[in-house]
Amino acid sequence: MATIPANTRLAARRTASGWLGALVKAAREAPLMAVIILGGLVLVALLADLIAPYDPTLPVKGAEMFVPPFWMEGGSVATPLGTDFQGRDILSRLIYGARVSLVVGLMGTLVAGGIGTAMGILSGYVGGWVDQIIMRVTDAWLALPAIVFAIFLAAMVGPSMWNIIVILGAVYWTRYARVIRGEVLTLRERDFVKLAEIAGASKLRVIKKHILPNVMNTATVLASLTVGVVIIAEASLSFLGVGVPPPQPAWGLMLSEARPTLMAGQWWLTVFPGACILLIVLATQLFGDWLRVRLDPQTRNL
Amino acid sequence: MKRPRFEASGLFTLLAAALILGAVASAAIPFASPAGAAAKGKLVLAWHAGFASRWLDPQEHDGTATPDNFFTAIHDALIKNQGTALYDYPALAEHFSVAADAKSATFTLRKGVKFHNGDPVTPQDVKFSYENYRGAKADVFKKKTERVEIVDDRTIRFVFKEPFLDFAILFGTANVAGPGWVVPEKYYKQVGADGFKQKPIGAGPYKLARHEPGVRVEMEAFDGYYRPVNVKQLVMISVPEAATRVAMLERGEADIVYNVPGELITKVGKLPGVTLAPVLSGSFFIEFPGFQDPKNPFHDKRVREAVSLAVDRRAMNQAETAGMGKPTGNWINNDVQYAIEWPEYPRNVEKAKQLLREAGYPNGFDVDWVTPLPTFYSRGERLIAQLREVGIRGRLQTMERGIYFQRLQGGLKEFPGTQIILHGVRIAGSWSFWYEGHFKCGGFNSRDRICVKDLDGKFDQYERSINPAERKKLAEEIQRGILDNYYLVPVFRHAFVNAIGPRVVLQKWQDVFPTITTGYAYPWEDIKVKD
Amino acid sequence: MSQFIIRRILYSVVTLFILSATIFLIVRLTGDPVALMAEASARPEDLERIRHQWGLDRSWPVQYATFMQNALTGELGKSFNYRLPVSELYFQRLPNSLTLGLAATLISLLIGIPAGIISAVKVNTAWDNVAKGVALLGLSIPGFWLGLVLILVFSVWLRWLPTSGSGDWRHVVMPALALGWYFAASMLRLTRSSMLEVLGSEYIKLARLKGLPDFVVIAMHAFKNALIPVFTLAGVNMVVMVNAAVIIEVIFAWPGIGRLLYEGIFQRDFPLVQGVVIMAGFMIIGINLFVDVLYAFIDPRIRLSR
Repeated sequence: MATIPANTRLAARRTASGWLGALVKAAREAPLMAVIILGGLVLVALLADLIAPYDPTLPVKGAEMFVPPFWMEGGSVATPLGTDFQGRDILSRLIYGARVSLVVGLMGTLVAGGIGTAMGILSGYVGGWVDQIIMRVTDAWLALPAIVFAIFLAAMVGPSMWNIIVILGAVYWTRYARVIRGEVLTLRERDFVKLAEIAGASKLRVIKKHILPNVMNTATVLASLTVGVVIIAEASLSFLGVGVPPPQPAWGLMLSEARPTLMAGQWWLTVFPGACILLIVLATQLFGDWLRVRLDPQTRNL
Repeated sequence: MKRPRFEASGLFTLLAAALILGAVASAAIPFASPAGAAAKGKLVLAWHAGFASRWLDPQEHDGTATPDNFFTAIHDALIKNQGTALYDYPALAEHFSVAADAKSATFTLRKGVKFHNGDPVTPQDVKFSYENYRGAKADVFKKKTERVEIVDDRTIRFVFKEPFLDFAILFGTANVAGPGWVVPEKYYKQVGADGFKQKPIGAGPYKLARHEPGVRVEMEAFDGYYRPVNVKQLVMISVPEAATRVAMLERGEADIVYNVPGELITKVGKLPGVTLAPVLSGSFFIEFPGFQDPKNPFHDKRVREAVSLAVDRRAMNQAETAGMGKPTGNWINNDVQYAIEWPEYPRNVEKAKQLLREAGYPNGFDVDWVTPLPTFYSRGERLIAQLREVGIRGRLQTMERGIYFQRLQGGLKEFPGTQIILHGVRIAGSWSFWYEGHFKCGGFNSRDRICVKDLDGKFDQYERSINPAERKKLAEEIQRGILDNYYLVPVFRHAFVNAIGPRVVLQKWQDVFPTITTGYAYPWEDIKVKD
Repeated sequence: MSQFIIRRILYSVVTLFILSATIFLIVRLTGDPVALMAEASARPEDLERIRHQWGLDRSWPVQYATFMQNALTGELGKSFNYRLPVSELYFQRLPNSLTLGLAATLISLLIGIPAGIISAVKVNTAWDNVAKGVALLGLSIPGFWLGLVLILVFSVWLRWLPTSGSGDWRHVVMPALALGWYFAASMLRLTRSSMLEVLGSEYIKLARLKGLPDFVVIAMHAFKNALIPVFTLAGVNMVVMVNAAVIIEVIFAWPGIGRLLYEGIFQRDFPLVQGVVIMAGFMIIGINLFVDVLYAFIDPRIRLSR
């Protein structure tokens, strides 16, 4: 949609390693809050086995169900954030849940970004009937509800965290495909690509050397904004009964399974996972927004 | 396929009961009063799923308990289950009798019964409803019936080709089949089967006022009904989310809500003026697919018994239904014909471990999957935690509902290796429907997963038999065979917990949910609300 | 130009065709509606009868041919569960979905546009962060949980609003808020970047040079020009909200199209799912076509680039 001024495009034309270097440099200037939250969650996810007090999938031995957080009457320091409807430790589930949510969020985004970027480049660079087919499929995809996919895949291969990742990737690739294709269309007309083609570089080489590095900025920005959306979508799939299967401690699943308890006053079952989701999504969104301004000021409407 | 099952069952008791009840009913006809005139107020029901319009047409009864809720409001049957009567409560029929040879049944209509459009209910309508019936078990009725005779303007006789001993049970139990529910022939033909589902006209206590398919059914008291109708407006709203239904009850937007989830039962019970109605419903039991294979750990009876000993039925009942269900001995509900009583199984973790040691599993073993009936996943999780205490290590497998039922249809090949299924079901009528659907080789849901040859042999004998005493004996033998050998491990009877708001007049919850065979509120005409 | 429009329409037809084949196949691979419906004491005869009645005993190619043949005449088949033509069901629910979609769009604009303006005008200030925070919050809370919290607070505790269902304006408030807030974030982003772009343009610089106060520049000039893409996106979002607000409609028992789809999918009501998805696809593809053509009018370069 936006027309791209030549000077910024040239500035964005970097080699892959240069792009990485810029990212590292940029990370130092990133919004503090978002980085702290995301960094903390990654740390928690990595160290889950060490810091979680209990097995997140099994009831705590000797603990009741619905034990409130420790500061409330009837609470216990043994289970500081209380227990759920199975008598499992909520803190442990939250800690392991960070792992599930991050894996689902990142991998889902990676799958979506991978398919979408590949499709976008193929469509934009190869053009012709390939472009036609990919774009028509992309359009049709937009009208297919995610839940239909979810049930379809669950029917084919059974529910699992990895299938959820595939489902989310399959749902969200279209936004990459459209944006990347647009970028590639302009890139294709640019001198350095034309020159490479005249010099006899193969299509694959042109894509690798000239197209891909130049769409990475956009793809990265899109990815940073998609992570949060994917995490929310994972929770929504749980609500519909086709998300990450229990007893895995996914935040979305915790929130969805325990939703009736909200009305019963056992707020700790949903408020903690809800807050975790809110934090991570907010952090990724803020980070993505910042990244967008930093890397790709021209891209709008993502 | 020949279905001798219906040829004989409790011949004498049944006949006697039918005759006596027929007589009692004719002696005690409820007083006829202009019903609608006195009706006042409004009752709102929050229904727990979507509405399928087909549930408004008894002609296409799907054989499940669900349509009951709508039939009992809009339609009426010749005889039906009501209160303690399982199938023979005289409704549109003033009385009925089954011939001594069980080769015919005669019904006499009440005087002056009318459909909502003012047309009288005639024997011709009854005949049409019976002959045009296309729902569950339609083929059974078709095969057995020779003709339907209209004797006079109030009397109709069903004549059978052979003794049809289960006729009254099948005909009169609302959640088994629907040929006894009378629809107006003229109107039905005029609007067609699909049109009828949008704007059904029946002879029930409530006539349809407005129908938003899938969302809302609004009804009004029918002043031509033969029993007094108390509440003027009856509104049923589909509210799929349980938490929302409870909020509606709390705010007074709904007077009756169905299916309060386990976590909310205690809280809802404490709401001012709210009464809980825990209706005993489906039975949950453990199944070991492929246990006949000697390589399967569950092939050993001791292992299956160990599972039973490891299950904490009371804890399960407490956690899942706030203790309102019932830990069971028999997997077949006791409200069906020939179901035997069986004591609740004990829990004994030590003995379970001992049995596992004897069976050669001192360190327990791994189960590939534990699959609970969707969406009761937390029951599966509890089962896994309980089994883990004796060393049986399982993993939960969740399936979306539609997929689960399709997998069951696929049989054993869909459940390879070592597996456990925590199934749950509710079937009305006869114990044989349970056996046939969920145990027998090739049964609708059991397929080839768990059948036992010699029990199937006995079941064939049962189906062929026309001797009620022998049938009863065989039925009990087969049930004992299953339970003694732990072919199935019964867990508990689920409580379908409903809640009644403060505006509804009642002494006890059974006034609104007389249960026995239907889990829903009824009879609608009897329910009263405060002004 | 007319050639461009014709080409775009042709594309749309192809897209709809791909969509119809995909959804036809996918729903059939997800399971058997008959096995699901007759669960308890059904017998093979019962199932066969229903299968035949619903036309499921025919081969898939035959079923698809019938489906397409009917679809071309505007008939999308008859729902298994409601026994009504799917198009009729769809149009029965459409007014409700439009109401909700409009209200939610309004809310997304009411939150997103001011937040976007603030964050464009006051870049990197506390105001910017607060505005962004508010707009992003709706995106960061799963809709079903937000919905239940709203019900708990506004219906159960405060008793201001009815919990669910449809009726007067009070029924719309909570579902529209829960739905619209999610889309507020995209409104914020677009408003901000449009504003920044317009504020940086020669035209606005000129207005500033003329000595017009900031307030006037923003209100009269920048805002007006930044709005076109914002409203375009709002339109596209609304089509999505009308057709796919499954979770919000379920939580608030809102009688819209999302719930129709939800029940259709879980009951494996093939004609219903196919029909709703095709109708939704028709609307989504339609509005995209409209936007493309609109932009082609505004910016002729687009015509050439495709």
